[in-house]
Amino acid sequence: MGTSEDEEGLDILQRRVPAPGPGNAVVVAAACAVTAIAAATFAVAVLTGASVALQGTALAAALAGLALAVRRLAPAVFPHVETAEDRDAPEGSDVPLSDVEPVGRRPLLRRVLVAAGGVVGLALLAPLSALRPPRAEAERGTGWARGTRLVMPTGEPIAADDVPPGGIATVFPSDGVGREIAAVLLVRLSGVAPADPTRLDWMVGDDLVAYSKVCTHAGCPVGLFSERTSTLFCPCHQSSFDAARGATPTFGPPSRPLPQLPLAVDGEGYLIAAGDFGGPVGPAVG
Amino acid sequence: MTPLVGRMLDTLDERVALRRPARHLANKVFPSHWSFLLGEVALFSFMILVATGVFLTMFYRPSTAPVVYTGTSAIYAGRELPEVFASIVRLSHDVDGGLLFRRIHRASSHVFIGACIAHLLRVVLTGAFRRPRELNYLIGLTLLLLAVGSGYSGHNLPYDVLAGTSLRILYTLLLSVPYLGEPLALGAFGGEFPGDIMPRLFVVHVLALPGLIAGLMTVHLLILGRQTHTQLPRTGIDGAQRVVGEPLWPWQAARSTGLALGLGATVALSAALVPWSDVDLHGPFEIAQTTNTAQPDWFLFWVEGVLRIYPPIEFHVAGTVVSGPLVGGVLLPLALVALGYAYPFLERRRHPEPGDHHVAQHPLQIPFRAGAVAGVVVLLVLLTLAGGNDVIARLLGLSTESVLWAFRIAVPLAPPLAAWGAAAHARAQGRRWT
Ligand code: FES
Repeated sequence: MGTSEDEEGLDILQRRVPAPGPGNAVVVAAACAVTAIAAATFAVAVLTGASVALQGTALAAALAGLALAVRRLAPAVFPHVETAEDRDAPEGSDVPLSDVEPVGRRPLLRRVLVAAGGVVGLALLAPLSALRPPRAEAERGTGWARGTRLVMPTGEPIAADDVPPGGIATVFPSDGVGREIAAVLLVRLSGVAPADPTRLDWMVGDDLVAYSKVCTHAGCPVGLFSERTSTLFCPCHQSSFDAARGATPTFGPPSRPLPQLPLAVDGEGYLIAAGDFGGPVGPAVG
Repeated sequence: MTPLVGRMLDTLDERVALRRPARHLANKVFPSHWSFLLGEVALFSFMILVATGVFLTMFYRPSTAPVVYTGTSAIYAGRELPEVFASIVRLSHDVDGGLLFRRIHRASSHVFIGACIAHLLRVVLTGAFRRPRELNYLIGLTLLLLAVGSGYSGHNLPYDVLAGTSLRILYTLLLSVPYLGEPLALGAFGGEFPGDIMPRLFVVHVLALPGLIAGLMTVHLLILGRQTHTQLPRTGIDGAQRVVGEPLWPWQAARSTGLALGLGATVALSAALVPWSDVDLHGPFEIAQTTNTAQPDWFLFWVEGVLRIYPPIEFHVAGTVVSGPLVGGVLLPLALVALGYAYPFLERRRHPEPGDHHVAQHPLQIPFRAGAVAGVVVLLVLLTLAGGNDVIARLLGLSTESVLWAFRIAVPLAPPLAAWGAAAHARAQGRRWT
């Protein structure tokens, strides 16, 4: 089969000798010229810190010119051939993988060897434990306890009057600034009376209430407050919580309220926690 | 061939006996249908990713320690930023060609994942995954998952606001795994969020994933070389025995070179026109920040969609919690991946056709397959749309609540309907190429 004698040769089904028009050489030459100019422009643009628009356009023009030249030159130089390749069939199990035959079987020893290899494999998993955090860090809790001062992200303590009516502030425990799981949202309600299930005795005055900032759905930071409806929003999956009713979820995928943090005021007039959160913080832990 | 190149090749051949294997390779047959080029697009975009990635790696600093940025960016000059974010600002404003290569890298990552998906669809729809190509199908699917992992990890490397929320959600998904949640999340992140995540993400993105992809791609291509391409039905050709097309040398080589260069030109032009991953658009991730948006890349929007529309249900069972993030963000994606891996074997149980299959089938030839593809595609498209339910509500002038409920109803109902409809349509049409 096929037109060629040796088995490596092509089995050509169709062969078409190119007949490029007289313009083809011009196109190839022009494309090469564009490529050279554009490539030089690209190099200069990068070296002189020219705009990314110029850098990108010049690089694109250089590559496109090259692509065009290749696509036009090859068909002018080589014939188009269509050919067929035979698929290799598997040769079956009577062709041995190796010609060196074993002289003994030793099945038990073989199994012992495989088992030993398995033990090595398992043992090599042990260093994975290096990935886990140090124990102390893993068991730190929320960082809130009776008497812990509330501080701003800058570390400064905060007084009840620092939050304007209808305003919110993100605060941390004084010894855990920037700790995500401890972040708290101070909310000063305005025009809405807090109601059940808000713990009124955990508020300061009748309008300052504190909730965990970590969304109980997937853990995004809750950070938008609509004063008129006293609603807290989580931007990640469009959920909302009613800040006047214990941060109960009112829309979206969260199923638990943002836990409330009991508030008090210390001798110097700064806000402190009167204890830990009233419920689990953040998303569910499986 | 110039005499110099010819002499060099002769010299090489005398030392490594290269002529025979080179000729074998040059005569390798490539089908000329365009759909066979999708895999090549994936290969070339991966090469662009590696080349630009090496450049970017030189300037990237995977540390969140605060530093003061002192470059030429007007927005960030003099500001204290996490070092990693500052290194991205530097790349975009102060490194020669840095912004161009960042944008080309980003654009190519979209092409890479898109091409993998399109290539997978071609293989599934024409039945090219059937015996003897099951193994290469499984490797290809694994390559798609690795590509998505690369996209996700790369998306988060700038440590901007989007990266912060997206990593927080990953942390939540790991935490939600029954019994193992805490060790998994703390182990992966090296501590309570954000832990030590940036150096780890960096190593995963620049070493582990590209290494795995390069290795598996090589195996994928070697197997392809042994098995040869499938053959589109054609009179006078026994596709089961032979495959028809152009030899690699010279036309196919010219076509592939042109494709690679054209792809490079396209992503370079897109980098000139589109501000991919603009560092000025989203500030650095800061935990105390009041408003953070969440917005994964398009190829993970469907996961965002499940998280949004899952009802507010959380229940305790057998000492663990079954939460929305667990069901929607962990179990459903795992189930889809498992379905992808099992598909060739599921279909074979439905349609036991013994022997090898080398001839491509019409996409509607096997009703079971048409139904399965339609169901999965409709599910993923709906979930992707659900990931933008607020935008849809705004565009249609509806309340987010009604759009949410529309998705809650459509997502469980539409995919089975689409599957049934597509299968019925395929059965009625009775289309086949052969
Ligand atoms: S994380 Fe807040 S709604 Fe999902």
